[in-house]
Amino acid sequence: MISLLSSRIFLITIVGASLAGIACSLMGVFVVRMKLSSLGCMSHAAFAGSALGLVLSFNPLFMALIFSTLIAFILGPLAEKARLNTYVILGVLFSLTMSLGLIFLNLAPETAMSSTAMSILWGSILGMSSADVTRLAILTVIVIVLMILFSKEFRAIMFDRKMAEASGIPTKSFYYLILFLTGVTVSLSLKLIGGLLIFALLVSPASTAYQFFHDIRKIIIFAPIFGVGSCLTGILISFLLDLPVGSSIAIVSSLIFGIAVIFSPKRRKG
Amino acid sequence: MEITPIELFSIDTIYEGEKIPAIRDITLRIGRGEFLCIMGPNGAGKTTLLETINGLLGHTKGKVDILGKEIRKFGSSIRKEIGYIPQEFGVDPLTPFLAEDVILMGRFGKIGLLKSVSDKDRQKAKEAMDSLGIDGLSTRPIGTLSGGQLQKVMIARALAKEPKILLLDEPFSNLDFNATADISRQISRLHNERELTTLAVIHDINSIPQRCDRIILMNRGRIVKDDLPKNVLDPESLKLAYESKK
Repeated sequence: MISLLSSRIFLITIVGASLAGIACSLMGVFVVRMKLSSLGCMSHAAFAGSALGLVLSFNPLFMALIFSTLIAFILGPLAEKARLNTYVILGVLFSLTMSLGLIFLNLAPETAMSSTAMSILWGSILGMSSADVTRLAILTVIVIVLMILFSKEFRAIMFDRKMAEASGIPTKSFYYLILFLTGVTVSLSLKLIGGLLIFALLVSPASTAYQFFHDIRKIIIFAPIFGVGSCLTGILISFLLDLPVGSSIAIVSSLIFGIAVIFSPKRRKG
Repeated sequence: MEITPIELFSIDTIYEGEKIPAIRDITLRIGRGEFLCIMGPNGAGKTTLLETINGLLGHTKGKVDILGKEIRKFGSSIRKEIGYIPQEFGVDPLTPFLAEDVILMGRFGKIGLLKSVSDKDRQKAKEAMDSLGIDGLSTRPIGTLSGGQLQKVMIARALAKEPKILLLDEPFSNLDFNATADISRQISRLHNERELTTLAVIHDINSIPQRCDRIILMNRGRIVKDDLPKNVLDPESLKLAYESKK
């Protein structure tokens, strides 16, 4: 029974990690190409939201979704109209959302060190339930379907948003759709990798794929492969060495990216 | 009654956060098949005028009618009929797009949502490449092209959508003499063949395409002269546009 239970938990983790790897790295293709690094604070916002959920004894996932979506809709106009450097937005919102998360946890010290709180912060192998996996599966399917249906619009926007607008594509709706989907992806993947490190899963696999291909379609295909590879290898290392799963995934994805930069055919001279 | 492709009535455009209009009180009518060049010093409002015409910038006063429709209401659908080549469009050397994809993207708005790229669309993109003699560049990554090649790709992108209006913002910037002459020739030829209503911002008097029907001189956001090339390219008119008032 214990073996069956552990194999079931293991299966949930593996499937959940693979789905998170696919969804995060697909959204990462947009984040990297469109230089949406300010979305990094979305993961901290999700963390702050779920921390507030813990304090209020309210569904942390729901609160994470609310916070990250809220940040998406603040960031959109801010990045578009406030004429602030991305690094300024990132610097201010990163620390603001992180501080909020820590304050919320501090408000209820008894929950601050609970396993749920820790999994929100650092991720957990046992953190995912079958319901989480179902939600991630639905999200991943939605992301893939949207990317197929609006493939040409997304590609045109990723090449250059202004030129896409000039060619008659209503880019604003797609831009906000990208922000919203990124927020949901971050929130649903939070339990696996944790709010502090999820940005690594968003950025590293996509950046790795960017090192190898000149064709955005190949990047869209290979980024999830690197994402799933990073997640599964990270989980294995976490399991074998008893390390936090979020950190293991972040380190693996960063290492793969480092190797990709060294061997990138796009950077080779001659 | 034939629809006038471009009509502007007393237009002001103010950038967000600014108080002074970048262009002011612009009234302009450009007929079908006309080739019009815009000249003026830096900051005269030339690019703002182009982007107000295609609706990328919203005007703050007046009315802009493009192809008989108001740009403010029908922006996206009107832009499907406008080929736009922006000023000094640069790309990162690692940009992950092939030249043929970038050209085909010009048609994406016209194809419409939830519709896939057809053989006809690919054929139009190929024809645009052939007409500019860049068919050999189709599978080259866009970031590896020279300035002249990139400019031709952007022109091909604009032409692939079979536009009714062509807006060119300093199409010869950063090009050497030969590339400028070549692209200038190509633009004039395409204008003739397709009877395009063309509006080009030109920086250098020497690179005004021969086919140009009218020249507008701008200074400080206003049109200071709008006439035939021979009447505009005289020292007095140019002085009027280029002298800076203290």
